[in-house]
Amino acid sequence: MIQQIVFIVLAALTVGSALGVITARHTVHAALFLVMTFVASAGLWLLLHAEFLALVLVLVYVGAVMVLFLFIVMMLDTDSQSLRQGLVRYAPLGVVVALIVFAEIGYVVYNRELGVSFGTPLPQAAGFSNTRALGETIYTVYAFPFEIAAVVLLVGIVAAIMLTLRRRPGVRHQNISKQVRVSAKRGRLRIVNMPSEPRPPEKNP
Amino acid sequence: MSAFLPMLLVAIVLAPLTAAIIVGCGMRFIPRRAAHVLTILAVALSTALSAWVLWQMVFAGMGSYDINLYDWGSIGNIQFNIGFMIDRLSVLMMTVVSFVSLMVHIYTIGYMAEDPGYKRFFSYISLFTFSMLILVMANNFLLLFIGWELVGLVSYLLIGFWYTRPTAIRAGLKAFIVNRVGDFGFILGIALVLAYSGSLDYSQVFAHASALAGQHLELFSGLVWSVPTVICILLFVGAVGKSAQVPLHVWLPDSMEGPTPISALIHAATMVTAGIFMVARLSPLFELSDTALSMVMIVGAITALFLGLVGIVQNDIKRVIAYSTISQLGYMATALGASAYAAGIFHLMTHAFFKALLFLGSGSVIMAMHHDQDMRNMGGLRKYMPITYFTFLAGSLALIAFPGFAGFFSKDTIIDAVHDSQRTGAVFAYWCVLLGTFVTGLYTFRCVFMTFHGKERFVVEHDAGHDGRKELAPGHLPHAPRESPWVVTVPLILLGIASVVIGWLTIQPLLYGDFFGTSIYVAPGHHVMQKLAEEFHGAGAMMVASVTTPTLWLALAGLGVAWFFYVFKPAWPAVLARWFRPLYLLLLHKFYFDEAYALFVEAGSRALGRMLWIGGDGAVIDGVLVDGSARAVGWFSRILRRGQTGYLYHYAFVMIIGLCVLLGWLLLR
Amino acid sequence: MITLFDFLALSGALFAIGLAGVFLNRKNVILLLMCVELLLLAANFNFIAFARFLNDISGQVFVFFILTVAAAEASIGLAIVVVLFRNRSSINVDDIDSLKH
Repeated sequence: MIQQIVFIVLAALTVGSALGVITARHTVHAALFLVMTFVASAGLWLLLHAEFLALVLVLVYVGAVMVLFLFIVMMLDTDSQSLRQGLVRYAPLGVVVALIVFAEIGYVVYNRELGVSFGTPLPQAAGFSNTRALGETIYTVYAFPFEIAAVVLLVGIVAAIMLTLRRRPGVRHQNISKQVRVSAKRGRLRIVNMPSEPRPPEKNP
Repeated sequence: MSAFLPMLLVAIVLAPLTAAIIVGCGMRFIPRRAAHVLTILAVALSTALSAWVLWQMVFAGMGSYDINLYDWGSIGNIQFNIGFMIDRLSVLMMTVVSFVSLMVHIYTIGYMAEDPGYKRFFSYISLFTFSMLILVMANNFLLLFIGWELVGLVSYLLIGFWYTRPTAIRAGLKAFIVNRVGDFGFILGIALVLAYSGSLDYSQVFAHASALAGQHLELFSGLVWSVPTVICILLFVGAVGKSAQVPLHVWLPDSMEGPTPISALIHAATMVTAGIFMVARLSPLFELSDTALSMVMIVGAITALFLGLVGIVQNDIKRVIAYSTISQLGYMATALGASAYAAGIFHLMTHAFFKALLFLGSGSVIMAMHHDQDMRNMGGLRKYMPITYFTFLAGSLALIAFPGFAGFFSKDTIIDAVHDSQRTGAVFAYWCVLLGTFVTGLYTFRCVFMTFHGKERFVVEHDAGHDGRKELAPGHLPHAPRESPWVVTVPLILLGIASVVIGWLTIQPLLYGDFFGTSIYVAPGHHVMQKLAEEFHGAGAMMVASVTTPTLWLALAGLGVAWFFYVFKPAWPAVLARWFRPLYLLLLHKFYFDEAYALFVEAGSRALGRMLWIGGDGAVIDGVLVDGSARAVGWFSRILRRGQTGYLYHYAFVMIIGLCVLLGWLLLR
Repeated sequence: MITLFDFLALSGALFAIGLAGVFLNRKNVILLLMCVELLLLAANFNFIAFARFLNDISGQVFVFFILTVAAAEASIGLAIVVVLFRNRSSINVDDIDSLKH
């Protein structure tokens, strides 16, 4: 009973804040609504006994990705007024498409029953650890995809750095390795061998 | 022995090919000397091995040999094999081909000494030897056809050997195109053989040949022909092209644009006899159809007489011999048509020797005359080049069938065989070949007398010889004619000896000693050769008996007429030509064959080509297919371009709506 | 009792909202990226709900991977936005139509 109340509250919060994301006047507000959506979703995932993922969602998404979003929004000097012009032009089409997709999904879910039978979820044994079960699966069965996921992240980091890295001409900075490698003999100091010349005798006027 | 033989046969075939490839590909790297040493060694190896196999067959009792060496491929039940059929017919041809080729190789060292294409030439003639051996040794129609086309290709390459001369290029193209006509018939014939007997192997086709005899096929509605007749006529069309019979003979005189050794090897001794060989090889098929054999005989007889007549008025020494080659090929075809295959092959062999000799001799003369081929600028060469003269004379006597010389035995046998034949058209053919002997005597000795006897019609300009750069007018020489070097005269002497003795030595075993055994099949009732065998009492007796036959006297009459007009009264031929001007013009223009082809075939095909070019290529392919498809794409993409706004969200919208529709379609399906 | 269908309906609603967001905020690239995050969240919901009701932990593993990919996607997407703004001084999608040419 409590679970149902929690579900309804959190579901309403999720859907409401999702609607807020797409209708917010300001991009910062939209980002904050998205944070709210994620937090509510994390709560719902707890109901589904996906404790580890719920925490990851909060930590990674809310803590990292959404902060990144906010940084970008605030860093770029955007004119949100001009961005919102002509909003209503495609709004009816968007609503219609969204309703159709929702209807289709609903039809699949309720009428076809997906072709599989579902029992009630098994109660979990005492001392069951979701994190442990997930880890055992990832590091055994899915070890190889896991490595690939790591590579994907690495590529993401490299790509992001490469994209945003900017070389400005004319900026002076130290090149420490060059400084360390300097040697007096090569290039710094040139010893010129000069023959000593006798001083010419001074002429007396 | 039997394990060793396939390797030996492969060696016979591949030795010239290997030499040709090495010389041809390494043309830039190897010295001239290596080019001829390598090819001559390879051909000498082939000659020696062929002669050894011949020896084994004739004297050591080796049987005929049919072997498939390599499975090339198969379609359904039809096998395509590379294989050799070695029996007495093919081994005889192998020996003749490789021997003449060897002589020509040696001769070429002298003849082509100053030619920039020296190595290329050796590569080509070795390639030719390989191709001809393939043709002769094949044990199935496919390999026969491959060899057939290969020799045609090499012939084309060698006619156009001096590719900077426009006439040589045209002659090469002409030979190639005319041969295509023949090859079209030939490949249709092979296709019919395959369709009706289900195999391409000689042995299987011959084994089922009798089953073909009763079958008929409807060419057009209402026109029913017997299958063997259609097959044989189509195959003979191929032979008509390759062996220069009427009406596809027009390419052979023009092929004299090639170097003289090639005229000797390809266009006299070997390649042009491929058609004759093919008919003899396929005798089990030809024997099934009297109609086809009659056609072979009549075409051969017409060729023998009328193309000989053309030879009388030619002034180019090589062209005279070319027309005599056509005429002699006609004799061979006539013999085949009379079911005297052995006589035809016998004449093929003797002709190979003396005609190669005549061509090489004429080449020697041409060298002495500084590559002037016009007989009107020669005369009296006898005292300058005695070896050439005597060998040329021996070849000429063999050609006119003078008793004792090689040509006598073979040609007289052919004439007797045609006389005894009961086939339709045999009477006509008999008179043609009989009168042909007179014509042969006339044109042959006209050539001999104009070249070697009589007044010297060339002028020697001694002062011009020192710088050697001055262009000389025809008939003007920088120095007196000289005898050719030994590489030229040695082949002449060897071939001269062969031309004298080969007939005497081989007539008994070859014609009447059942030499060919089962390799030539003659149906019961067609045995003209048996009848001749009863009358044959040895080579000497045949010579004695020839005094009473008309052939000798006709040939001698031809010789006498030639002497009268070209030695005794050299001014008279021109007068005669004026009196009989229409006849003279008819012969000079070779019965207007070239003109007729130019008028009908060439103009027709040009008109057809023009129609296809403008109508088919221009309008349909270029206009509709190429430009049309481009225009359609352009038009279509002009419409599509409206949808390409370049805005990212439009593409996203299309994706989302597409997903939506797809999902809906999946659900409502 | 909360059934699987409740969760699926919720995720369907989130997905539809994400789609509608693409239509509504078509001009703002950052908002478009946020809508994509919504769509991915809807998918994640499905995975987790099925993992729970089918008693199969593999669904959660997939969510793990999706989160990885989504994080990478967000970082690269935002990097592109930064570069875009640096070059064009705008993140208005209407200004970006070079695909047309």
